[in-house]
Amino acid sequence: MSDSSVLHRLVERVTRQIRLRRMEYYGLRGLFVGALVALPPLVVQEYLGAPSALGLSGSAVLLGAIAGAVSGLVLRLPRPEAARLADRGFALQDRVATTLEWAERPDRTPLVDALVADTVARVRQLDGRRVIPRLYPREAKFIPVPLALGLALSLAPAIPLPAGGLPNFSASTDEEEESKPQERGGKLESDERPRATKPEPIQRADLQERTFTPRSGAGGPSQPGDLAAIFKDTSLGSRSPDFSSFLKRGDERIRMLEQLDRLPDLQRDFTQSQYKMVFQRSKALRGGLRPDQVSPEKLRELLNEMERLGRKGGGGWGGDVSEGMEMLEQGQTDKAMEAMERALSKMRSMEEQGREGKGLRGGRESDRRGQRGGDRSAGRGGPGDEGDFPEGEGLAPGRGKSGSPKGDATQRLRANPFDVGVEGEARSGRKEGFDTNLLGRGANTPSRLQYMGVMGQYRKMMEEAIAREQVPRDFQSQVKEYFQALEER
Amino acid sequence: MPEHSMPAQRQEQRVEEFVAAFQALRAEVQKIIVGHDDVINHVLTGLFAGGHVLLEGVPGLGKTLLIKTLSESLDLSFSRIQFTPDLMPGDIIGTNIIVEDAEGRKHFQFQRGPIFAHILLSDEVNRATPKTQSALLEGMQEGSVTVSGVSHPLPSPFFVLATQNPIEMEGTYPLPEAQLDRFIFKLRVTYPALEELVEIINRTTQVREAQVGRVMTGPQVIGFRQLIREVPIAAHVRDLVAYIVLASHPQWDRSPEVARRFVRYGSSPRGAQALVLGAKVRALAEGRYNVSVDDIRAMALPALRHRVILNFEGEAEGIDADRLIEQLVESAEGLISTGKEVFLR
Repeated sequence: MSDSSVLHRLVERVTRQIRLRRMEYYGLRGLFVGALVALPPLVVQEYLGAPSALGLSGSAVLLGAIAGAVSGLVLRLPRPEAARLADRGFALQDRVATTLEWAERPDRTPLVDALVADTVARVRQLDGRRVIPRLYPREAKFIPVPLALGLALSLAPAIPLPAGGLPNFSASTDEEEESKPQERGGKLESDERPRATKPEPIQRADLQERTFTPRSGAGGPSQPGDLAAIFKDTSLGSRSPDFSSFLKRGDERIRMLEQLDRLPDLQRDFTQSQYKMVFQRSKALRGGLRPDQVSPEKLRELLNEMERLGRKGGGGWGGDVSEGMEMLEQGQTDKAMEAMERALSKMRSMEEQGREGKGLRGGRESDRRGQRGGDRSAGRGGPGDEGDFPEGEGLAPGRGKSGSPKGDATQRLRANPFDVGVEGEARSGRKEGFDTNLLGRGANTPSRLQYMGVMGQYRKMMEEAIAREQVPRDFQSQVKEYFQALEER
Repeated sequence: MPEHSMPAQRQEQRVEEFVAAFQALRAEVQKIIVGHDDVINHVLTGLFAGGHVLLEGVPGLGKTLLIKTLSESLDLSFSRIQFTPDLMPGDIIGTNIIVEDAEGRKHFQFQRGPIFAHILLSDEVNRATPKTQSALLEGMQEGSVTVSGVSHPLPSPFFVLATQNPIEMEGTYPLPEAQLDRFIFKLRVTYPALEELVEIINRTTQVREAQVGRVMTGPQVIGFRQLIREVPIAAHVRDLVAYIVLASHPQWDRSPEVARRFVRYGSSPRGAQALVLGAKVRALAEGRYNVSVDDIRAMALPALRHRVILNFEGEAEGIDADRLIEQLVESAEGLISTGKEVFLR
């Protein structure tokens, strides 16, 4: 069909435009790569010599651009794709691509003849404008950077290259150094060229003149920014630094600094109580996770910390901590968490006991405690009045100190803000699960923790039941709404 | 090119006839129906594509009136069935009754039901029980009904137009997926705009009544249906249709995230057929001899919105099927150009 030659000419015209744009596009990319490759010869022009370095760099830039353009030119371009781009460029609504595809087919329908005639007539009316837009690669906007850098390197004096080796930190004097013959580096072939000025010898006077008076030992007051505070609890605190041994044999300080977990946290608020610190760590450890999701290593660290505090402060939670460690060794993280919670509760009791002694009278805490103490027959301040049972007591019937048959409510169930304030954190990424730590109707009651746990379980069961298609389709939205009502904020 | 110019002219004439008939039919319907231009176009597209159309909208928007007007514009027989919960399949298809001949001998004779018409209006189709709804299945797909082992062909062209109310779900039976799939398009009839509402008031509250003329016959419709199938479609347009349909399946490894999250079942191959046929009618109605990508985009919503079944998460999140399909089309277009060099995208 001779009419289709018009279409072929159109496609060839568009093909040439595409190839031209490809040359520009890939040429710019090649130019960027070439400009990057051109930088190293300019950096080492002291070795290569300025003419060679400039020649190499210029060649790299030129070759990069040419190689990019050539690769763009020879890229494969199927004819149907060019026809599609012609349709798109001239708003021909896929006429050209359809016509070229169907004109030669043996199963062409009678309507194809009308299609060919229509398409040819439209193509003949087209102007010769370029329809393929110019595209710039992402690298194009960065091309000036390596080019400018290369220009600056070529205009600036040659960069002196390092002679190699580390500076000598030995105790030898500068005079000795001066008297030593210059052995390193060898003779360079560019000796005739102007060389960069000789670098100044390393000024070490400041180091030598500095007096290292022994700092105050352990327990002494530390100044802000005083690094000795890091070592004040160690035997290194009273030693003066010896930089010779520091560099040659290694120093205990360096080893300590490498063991980050042994360093005290200087940013920690030391005005906080032990209980608060431990509680915050336990809170961070849980972080809305289930017991089986808690990291055993971190839990072990926390238990170790609690054990250390127990030994130091004489708390009665050592047994719980030991039990928690045993459970952890057996892989029962949930039991270990429970033991940790018990130890934490006892720690809090001890903390509150101490606060009660120091707190101002008339405060909310003392009022509450005063009321509670008034209800009891036991005198205030007596042994075992810390609100929680000592280890081994209170669990068996008749062994508690309460007059009521069931005993007093445990400390954990009181409305302590530390207990109910456990909030989860939303995980990053796609939310496949649901955050059950929502503020529901029961948020202000002590049973909120249990509510959240149960709600999460039931919600999960609901999702699974829905997923198994056991709930009729018409009732699915009702089920969803029911659970949403339970989680009303 | 003398050997090709004559057939080409003849084909152009056929296409011009179709465009004129399409516009005349639309003009007749628009004498009565105000607005709803897209719905009218899609109903006519469904008619010429050889499918059946489901119209969904709240009461009072003119769905039934549109169909009645269309039937009056065509020189074809018309039946209307008001679907109710107590409607039985025999009430639609017909039944065997005992008749007595002149000699006094009794025998069974098939009494045809209202389905034996060219245009069948199934009003409020979701009010009948699934058993009754399924009575339409064979007629819609095969163009015939079978009673007591005897197959009775339906008149040609056979065109079912069904309506349903999307909000009044009490006491209704949502159409099963198998039946939904038989409809080539599902159209949403929306509320008219202010100017349209004013025009509706003017037209319907005065003495003057518009007269609708019959502008097309059954054989003409059948002839145009033949012509539609001759419209060529390019390979890349056809591939786009296949990608769209496959992208609606969450099981497909290249389906987009939105399909994997919110879709339970994707479109059937009937969806692809509906998409291509609808696009062909649209192209020809615009006087074009080929299907373009724009035609596919335009027909994607009516052809696929009832074929993509949302899962629980999709329904609970209130995902709009139309928005979902738009994303599927975008995704399919991206899939076609993925990996291609920058100038070919």
